[in-house]
Amino acid sequence: MKANLRLYVLLIRASVRGAMQYKFNFIGSAFVSALVQFSEFLMVALVLVRFGSVDGWSWYEVGYLCGVMTLARALYRSFASDVHYLEKYLVSGDLDPLLLRPVPLLLALMTQNVRLLVGDLAQGALLVAVCLRELLASGQADWTAIPLTLLAIVSGAVLLFAIGLATAACGFWLTRIEALQNMSEDAARSAAQYPLTLYPRWMRTLLLVALPVGLVSYVPALYIVRGEYGAWLLVAAAGAAAVFLLLALRLWTLGVSRYQSTGS
Amino acid sequence: MITVNRLCKTFRIPVAREGRFAALRSLLSGEQRLKEAVRDISFTIGRGEFVGYIGPNGAGKSTTIKMLTGILHPTSGSVDIGGLSPQLHRQRVVRRLGVVFGQRSQLWWDLPVRDSYDILAAMYRLEERAARLRLGELSELLGLGEFLDTPVRKLSLGQRMRADLAAALLHDPDVLFLDEPTIGLDVAAKRSIRGFLHTLNRDLGTTILLTTHDMDDIERLCSRVMVINHGQLGYDGTIAELRERIGLPTVARVTFRAGCAVPSAAEAAGLPFVIVERAPGALTLAWNRRELTALEMLRIVSAWGEADDVHMEEPAFEDVIHRVY
Repeated sequence: MKANLRLYVLLIRASVRGAMQYKFNFIGSAFVSALVQFSEFLMVALVLVRFGSVDGWSWYEVGYLCGVMTLARALYRSFASDVHYLEKYLVSGDLDPLLLRPVPLLLALMTQNVRLLVGDLAQGALLVAVCLRELLASGQADWTAIPLTLLAIVSGAVLLFAIGLATAACGFWLTRIEALQNMSEDAARSAAQYPLTLYPRWMRTLLLVALPVGLVSYVPALYIVRGEYGAWLLVAAAGAAAVFLLLALRLWTLGVSRYQSTGS
Repeated sequence: MITVNRLCKTFRIPVAREGRFAALRSLLSGEQRLKEAVRDISFTIGRGEFVGYIGPNGAGKSTTIKMLTGILHPTSGSVDIGGLSPQLHRQRVVRRLGVVFGQRSQLWWDLPVRDSYDILAAMYRLEERAARLRLGELSELLGLGEFLDTPVRKLSLGQRMRADLAAALLHDPDVLFLDEPTIGLDVAAKRSIRGFLHTLNRDLGTTILLTTHDMDDIERLCSRVMVINHGQLGYDGTIAELRERIGLPTVARVTFRAGCAVPSAAEAAGLPFVIVERAPGALTLAWNRRELTALEMLRIVSAWGEADDVHMEEPAFEDVIHRVY
């Protein structure tokens, strides 16, 4: 485990060094990604400005939801990098050389083409900081909200990683998975940036149980900034993240054994 | 060292429809065709052998290699390398293997060659001193010195192949798999790689399995050939045996000092060789060397006139292989 961690760091560094050869692209992609994230938040902000609140959630509360989601996603994408782009490897057969190395395939994939989502991270952090400060100042939340938020972000990142990994693993059967990713990753995540009470019951169930992106920011926020239910919400969210990760890893292992490669 | 037992691999390929709305119908039908890429292959390779694995395009060579290296999981049958299955213990098996795919580099594309070796050394948990020593040796044998600090993407094909070979050998593997290592290389580069592989096998005892379409590679390097066609093993043995079994004729052109008395067609029919061409003062003959030695042939021919010169041609290995395919 420790050796793998060292290797992970080494490979990440190699990957970054490689990317640095194309400096413009490296900086540019970080910038563009942040811009896309920001425009997504802008959509939410517009809705808020128009209506003042969403289903009883104030500006700052919804901002908090968005910020936690952005941070969780940026963490997942920074650490797991090319897992999201497995399709490219499946279509070209580029997975072969990775399988020839004496390291877990997932580790090899996680360290390919590392993108540092500095822009996303900074923007998410800023949003969470601004919203939390306001919520603290108004007395709606106390200082424990800060460590609990960090916990929620980490467990959220693990959950998003698990969902991304399971989706990618489907690629071993389907090869092309872009559409599936749009549904399970992008659409689901965008939906979970709003309070889930906004949606009909079936969709709420979907986003909490089957594709539990609601556990990334909505469920933790219920307790952390609104004080509803109890601290067990956070434990449940973290537990669900762990369970989903285990299931996703199972599916991944099964998928790798079904890998078909390409003609010579 | 390597034991392969009744190995099979079947791929499922979606069937593409033809005619009206072909794309839509292909999408909806979900019909699949089974392609048996490898059918019931078994063989054993001992330590220190240099085996050529040949066959036409699409015969199943690469599929076999991918199963031997743990990339693909067989549909049925098993592979055993040094006592372990590459499918069940991929990481442990891969640690003892070196693999070179001629068509695909395993180096870090954007980094200097040297950096790739540093990363690989860490991956295989090599001791720093040992790794440096080993790299020094390989660098000398393969002449890597001139481009160690060049990014991989800027190397010529010949340089890249040498760099890839060194990368596959850095951890001193027991077994080396080579999938078309000389593809696209010029004569000089081919020769230097062949020389290196020969040294590696003879002096260091590395077991090597080589697939290639270059019959020169096979003839110069391999002590044993396996021929695969349509996913099945067609031949497994030495090159000499293969030549013998196919029995292509040896061809000789005999020139006479002062013309010759060529036998009539009726007489020629009883001879142990065939007269392929008759020219004034020269004859071209074809026969099987197993039935008649060259000296015996010459003795018969001398009776027709005084032989001046003999030019003999053994059948090209490529022609022999063509017969097997």
